[in-house]
Amino acid sequence: MTVAGLARRLQARELSPREAVERYLKRIEALDGQLNAYITVRAEEALAEAAALEGASERGPLWGVPIAVKDVIDVAGTPTTAASRVLADNVPAQDSFVVARLRAAGAILLGKLNLHEFAYGALTTSPHFGPVRNPWSLERVCGGSSGGNGAAAAADLAAGTLGTDTAGSIRIPACYCGATGLRPSTGRVSNGGVVPVAWSFDTVGPIARTAEDCALLLAAIAGRDPGDPSTVDAPVPDYPGRLDGGVRGLRIGVVESLVGGADPRIGAAVESALEELRSLGATLTPIAPAILPHAGAIQQAMQFQEAAEAHREWLHTRLTDYGDDVRARLLVGLVLPSTLYVTGQRARRVAFEELRRTFEQVDLVAAPTMPVLPPRIGEETVEVDGREVPYRLALVPYNSPWSLVGSPAASVPCGLVEGLPVGLALVGPRLGEETVLRAAHAFQQATDWHERRPSSAARRHSASLR
Amino acid sequence: MASIPSLAELRTLVEAQGVTPTDRDLEAVRAFLEVLLPAWEEMEGLVPAHTPPAGLFLPPEDG
Repeated sequence: MTVAGLARRLQARELSPREAVERYLKRIEALDGQLNAYITVRAEEALAEAAALEGASERGPLWGVPIAVKDVIDVAGTPTTAASRVLADNVPAQDSFVVARLRAAGAILLGKLNLHEFAYGALTTSPHFGPVRNPWSLERVCGGSSGGNGAAAAADLAAGTLGTDTAGSIRIPACYCGATGLRPSTGRVSNGGVVPVAWSFDTVGPIARTAEDCALLLAAIAGRDPGDPSTVDAPVPDYPGRLDGGVRGLRIGVVESLVGGADPRIGAAVESALEELRSLGATLTPIAPAILPHAGAIQQAMQFQEAAEAHREWLHTRLTDYGDDVRARLLVGLVLPSTLYVTGQRARRVAFEELRRTFEQVDLVAAPTMPVLPPRIGEETVEVDGREVPYRLALVPYNSPWSLVGSPAASVPCGLVEGLPVGLALVGPRLGEETVLRAAHAFQQATDWHERRPSSAARRHSASLR
Repeated sequence: MASIPSLAELRTLVEAQGVTPTDRDLEAVRAFLEVLLPAWEEMEGLVPAHTPPAGLFLPPEDG
């Protein structure tokens, strides 16, 4: 069920908040033993929140809608583990800014979702909490770092979810799970009460079933937070109210090197999706920003050091409590010269200037979200262009450029390859979420890829619960 | 191209900051650096002289 559909049924009193919570708790009980999407299910708390809402006089747009959040986002009184042993005993006293905003909109906090440890990786195979299994193929990863979000959205274990994205962590799991995800512009949404990866890239955003759902969730959480200086003081558009503008006349720049660099079957699915957008009235233009091949290196010049700084105290006291891959990434940040950070920020300005010029020529940029199908759990290499490359290197050129310049970027389901979902990335200029969501919505009004559901064991359970 | 630091050099850098890694940790760090150092050298070549750093949070006037 979508956020929008459920919200309408709740508002119409066809369903009570308690019934909505009970529906998801049943699904979680039936399916999550296989998927491992949740770290904490707030069953009693969610039922109590539902009861409180039923007596409330005011109803926000998400009144009674059960939402789950990645386990780096604080919910008062519920552990925030970041899927790490390091934070096993961490129980925040206060809600994060975005959770407070969800509550203000009437949402119910259903639980905390599994992730790649400390949101610092894209596999979601935490050594402490176990791997999240892809509902489309249980032996494969969901991507990450918001892997639990992807699985929960795909298997309908929450109406919608909030994840975080530093270098692809919303877009990748949305792509691999056949969900719709939006990384908002950096600064559009507060990071207050969220465990950081790298402050200057981190962004909270939705992973849900549709662009409409993402618009509803973004509308609830976007805006200035006086407690977070990274948030911008810019008007927040009525995202749900402006979804229906269509794409006629929209100029879409297609990054042909990224389309051509993907698995040809993925490239073909993306080209078909672009043709669909063209048939709806968009114009397509090939683009080739020279900075793109370097964007990953530029982002990492800063990201490694920001992450190491965020973890400095724990590196002293809890080094052996990290998983091997995250510990190695954090240690990289300790051995880099400080001049590299400044060079990275200078190169970031070059990237920003070039992509600003790009967005003077086009309204949106399009590319595949990911160039390869999700790896099997335990695999860390993938085949790109006939070569075996580390998975972590394959994803960087497709995701880092947009994080580097703080652009909003969505992943929208646009096909199936070997029965696994493929994603179309739609990227806008900074603070251009409205256009990204409008194009994604127009695509979803014309296609049904976002309505396809997993054919794994999860779906068989699903059918029995309808 | 900058040479990849040895394990002993990496250990000195890390331990100077009060952190005590294993050799296996440092081998993993080296594996990252083998990929990253050449990419960062290329990055330096992209930046025209006198280009100031971007702001940490990319204020809206930059967008």
